[in-house]
Amino acid sequence: MISRRTWIVAGGFFALGTLAVILSAYSGASSSQRFSPVQPVRFPHPVHVQTLGMNCLYCHSAASQSPDPGLPAVGTCMGCHTIIGPDRPAMEGREAFRSAEIEKLQKYASGNLPIPWVRIHKLPEYVRFPHMRHVTAGVSCQTCHGDVQNMQQVYQANSLNMGWCVSCHVGQSNPPFRARYDCANCHY
Amino acid sequence: MTRSIPGVPPAGETAQRRALPVLPSASGDPGALDRRDFVKTLGVAAAGTALLGCSQEQVEKLIPYLASPDGMVPGVSTYYATTCRECAASCGVIAETRDGRAIKLEGNPDHPLNRGALCARGQAALQGLYNPDRYRGPMIRRGDRLEPISWDEALRAFAERVAETRRGGQAGGAVFLNQHESGAFPAFLDDWLAGLGMPPHLSYDGQADFASIAANRQSFQVSWPRYDFRAARLVISFGADFLDAWGPSVTYQLDWADARTDFARAPKLVYVGPRRSLTGLNADEWIDCRPGSELAIARMLMGDFTPAQAAVVSGVDAARLERLRAALEAASPSLVLGGGSMDVALMANAINNARGNVGATVLTAEPVTAYDGMNSPADVRTAVDRMRAGSVSLLMVRNVNPVHTLGRSGAVAEAMGRVPFKVSFSSIMDETSELCDLILPDDHSLEQWGVAQPLRGTLSLQQPVMNRVFDTRPTADVLMAVGRTDSALASRYAAPSFREWLLPRLPGGANGIAAALPNGLIAGNVEPRGATRLAPLPRLAPPIEGTQGDLYLVLYNHPLLGVGRGANKPWLQELPDPVTKILWQTVAELHPDTARRLGVKNGQMVRVQTEAGSVNLPVCTYPGMHRETVAIAVGRGLVRSGRYASAGVNALELLLPFEDRSGAPAYVATKAQVAAAPGYQQLVTTEGSARQHGRGIGRAMLLADIGRDVEHHDGPVHHKLPGDGDHSHLPGLRAPIAADAQGDLVHPEDIERGMYDPKHWSGMAKRRWAMTVDLARCTGCSACVTACYAENNIPTVGAVWQGAKLFPDKTGFGANILRSREMAWIRLERYFEGGEDGGPDFDTRFVPMMCQHCGNAPCEPVCPVYATYHAPDGLNIQVYNRCVGTRYCSNNCPYKVRYFNWFGYGEPARAQYAFPEPLNWQLNPDVTVRAKGVMEKCTFCVQRIREAENRAQAEGREIIPDEFTVACAQACPSRAITFGDAADDRWAINRLVHDERAYHVFEELNTYTAVVYLRKVLHQEPSHSPQRRLVPGSAADTGGGAH
Repeated sequence: MISRRTWIVAGGFFALGTLAVILSAYSGASSSQRFSPVQPVRFPHPVHVQTLGMNCLYCHSAASQSPDPGLPAVGTCMGCHTIIGPDRPAMEGREAFRSAEIEKLQKYASGNLPIPWVRIHKLPEYVRFPHMRHVTAGVSCQTCHGDVQNMQQVYQANSLNMGWCVSCHVGQSNPPFRARYDCANCHY
Repeated sequence: MTRSIPGVPPAGETAQRRALPVLPSASGDPGALDRRDFVKTLGVAAAGTALLGCSQEQVEKLIPYLASPDGMVPGVSTYYATTCRECAASCGVIAETRDGRAIKLEGNPDHPLNRGALCARGQAALQGLYNPDRYRGPMIRRGDRLEPISWDEALRAFAERVAETRRGGQAGGAVFLNQHESGAFPAFLDDWLAGLGMPPHLSYDGQADFASIAANRQSFQVSWPRYDFRAARLVISFGADFLDAWGPSVTYQLDWADARTDFARAPKLVYVGPRRSLTGLNADEWIDCRPGSELAIARMLMGDFTPAQAAVVSGVDAARLERLRAALEAASPSLVLGGGSMDVALMANAINNARGNVGATVLTAEPVTAYDGMNSPADVRTAVDRMRAGSVSLLMVRNVNPVHTLGRSGAVAEAMGRVPFKVSFSSIMDETSELCDLILPDDHSLEQWGVAQPLRGTLSLQQPVMNRVFDTRPTADVLMAVGRTDSALASRYAAPSFREWLLPRLPGGANGIAAALPNGLIAGNVEPRGATRLAPLPRLAPPIEGTQGDLYLVLYNHPLLGVGRGANKPWLQELPDPVTKILWQTVAELHPDTARRLGVKNGQMVRVQTEAGSVNLPVCTYPGMHRETVAIAVGRGLVRSGRYASAGVNALELLLPFEDRSGAPAYVATKAQVAAAPGYQQLVTTEGSARQHGRGIGRAMLLADIGRDVEHHDGPVHHKLPGDGDHSHLPGLRAPIAADAQGDLVHPEDIERGMYDPKHWSGMAKRRWAMTVDLARCTGCSACVTACYAENNIPTVGAVWQGAKLFPDKTGFGANILRSREMAWIRLERYFEGGEDGGPDFDTRFVPMMCQHCGNAPCEPVCPVYATYHAPDGLNIQVYNRCVGTRYCSNNCPYKVRYFNWFGYGEPARAQYAFPEPLNWQLNPDVTVRAKGVMEKCTFCVQRIREAENRAQAEGREIIPDEFTVACAQACPSRAITFGDAADDRWAINRLVHDERAYHVFEELNTYTAVVYLRKVLHQEPSHSPQRRLVPGSAADTGGGAH
């Protein structure tokens, strides 16, 4: 009898544990934070942002005008990289080298192929996130996307879960922002 | 993107994210968290790797543009002005495109015909563009199958055939049947045919009322005059269904609503005909004459007959006819319209002439030119006769389907068998093109260049709004390519494509086009096609009285599906017929008394038989029927026109091979044997009851009472309860629950205190979104319903495969509707008032019913998970991701406007999937595709509100009053719906909510709705309630109260 009860208790605990895991998964407590896939072209944000001083909006120009930030067209990359070819000259503290990544880019461009970037940041389908409202309100890109300018390989810096969103909207961020947090601002 | 879209430049991130809920991707639909994801999550979690959530496994690709198109921002809509080609009228449309895909059609506000509105058929053009049964590319017949070939091979095959026909000296025997259109293409086509020695093409339109066109040509030398409803004091319509689909009906909807709400001068409408159509239901009086006797009544009005003589022929009381004649004598100017029969239309024109209406209400100097150049259907019939005789060497058809539209007795299929080579340019499969030897699919009208001539002096431009969906080519380009292979014609077709050929020929030339493109209109004319040949003598039907049968048979074109052109569009199939409220089904309409006499009830089968054939149909009783008549809608039951088109039964099986004097097939030409048959088919309808049962949903008042401050007693008695708020017509403003939220009842320290306070920092409560519906304007056309489907990604549920799995006993089209699974967020309720005795004098109330966004919503407190609640700006919100599907809200909703996703309509893997590729391309990326198990309902187009707010914020301004409106209001052809901010006096809605006709539906429930209805206006006292005559200054008790 005792052994049977033990089994029931163990089974019960197992069921409870499973339930808890399910609930936590279902509630959205999981997230793809720190997801960092290898991209088809190893695009170095630090070089472009830090060394060359380019603004995020140079490539992601729709972010200030559209709900969607957009990705730069291959033509946008080639605006510079027709001139800046794969043969990189020697510079201070660096040997001359041939960039396999720029070669890849040029191959895509000459073949009229788009670059199949792997998506990192994704909100569920029932969420509307208007980028332009955040950008024009003065929220920096880094607030949500982390220090992309330092990322050799981009990863998801924040959880992008709802609690994380709302913490800003109710003014708990630093610096404090405050924005409408009615459900139907984002969910419709 | 995991799928490549032929011809569409790969879109940016937007298209990727937005398109995902429906594009079958490796990852499925992550947002929806369907059962599989759930199980997957469980598996992952149980394995102890809960750190990696489900979203980790979903690898998606973001595909950028190669070169960013100028002026296009990913995620922001681009709009193109073009022309609707769904009927001959050619209204102007503005196509909204997002990331290279058309997602919504709306009326062009600058277009003189439709002035911003658009009918259901026009909106459903998108489902023609994205129709899954379109031809994917050119095909050729090998054996008894059509097999895909390349365009090079197809063009070579066509050119060889043309050359061969000419070599054999048989070019004169070629026939080109083209879907009638106005503009430059018909003349271009005739020119091409002439160059090859072929006769001019036949311009054919099965759904236009050719009887009226032929009569107008004879009477006025124009195909279609302009009618001025506002000037008329009395309108008499003899079967001219100008609010259904007779002529440019969107124009008439607008004109009619404007005329009728100019209360001081509003015209009365008398409808004469055996069946009360939608136009008939909008009439003040219906004269239910025998089929075929309209002519006698019209001649009585001309003085040819006495009322007593006309009464004998028509079966109508002579006194009524005498009253009609007197009313016509008294009204000046009046307007008499005739449709369906050339004789009646000619007589109507003659009455207009005699009464001096020509120049006053019939404006022949400003004709609608859209119908110019149309051939008589008798021409098509003679072409078929020649095919049968073996004298047609080459048949070319483009988007017409005579095999279906001329009926089985037309025997077109057999005749086509005698034609050695048949080429189809149709873009979608149908009965005719499936018999052809070579398919050269045309672009959809939204994919190609062209021009239409809707009115004299006005050209409406047609431009591609997106790249091709499939491997199709514009027919004009194909013809030019073939022309270039002929040395004699090559110089004529030097331009690389029809676009380059066309643009320099337009007024203003190619440079003027750039200026005209934004609104799609050019002043001027294009050269019309040469005079069409004189139509052959029609095969007149013998007098209907002499035919054998029990009941007169009245066939009529379905107002939404036409003769079948709309049959393969699920939006139109699932849109309840405005009159019968039947969807996905063909029924035999009988007067209730007639059905009783036959011993049948709703849904029981009858067999309807003519000399041509017989069909078995379920009975649908309808009080708007002449008692000796059975009526059946044409337009369903097409067997080879695609997956949706086979719903229902093809009523043209009953059509005899006779013609009206105009040459149009005679739809009313015979009696039919009607007898009860074994079997039962439950009626597929969304209607609960056709009566209001005293609920006062659709209310009315007498014209005489306007401005007289009468007290209405047409709703249920309202018992004032302690704690009741003030009953004013302010939409949803002062609800007890709102008072609570505003802080009157909460703890002062509560964090949420003041969220509903207009002074709250978020400012949301400063606005109060509200809507008015003017029942005096609403004609019941149901365009709002289709607009809502298009805007809000509402799935259609009636297709045969969508209901088959769960309930195998209930299958067939509309099976899900039988289980009340329809999802229409807005429905058009239609109630009859009076006429309980079966008499013709009943009044009809059309009530668009959608979520009322109650200030004190019964749905909100019963939700256990707070998935529905009241937003500070007055919206009743449904949060899909909170909803767990208890359906308590729906049970508690007195308006029954909440719809539950019983099935995964948005999930491609499921049998119930509502958007088979590429129909899913139309989905609005701003609206969530709802998952299985959640409740949904009208959101007041919250995505449009947010978009307007976003736009205003980006431009650093406030929202401009009436800057935007919701989808139903935008589409409404009679401008019955107004949306706006009821808390800001500058919005147009504020004039309406305080109108003396305003009321709330179910006001007695203290729901404090944000939707305000304005009473319908009865232009004459209803004769069905003589016992409740109006005492001057007292109640106009004309509503539902006593019924």
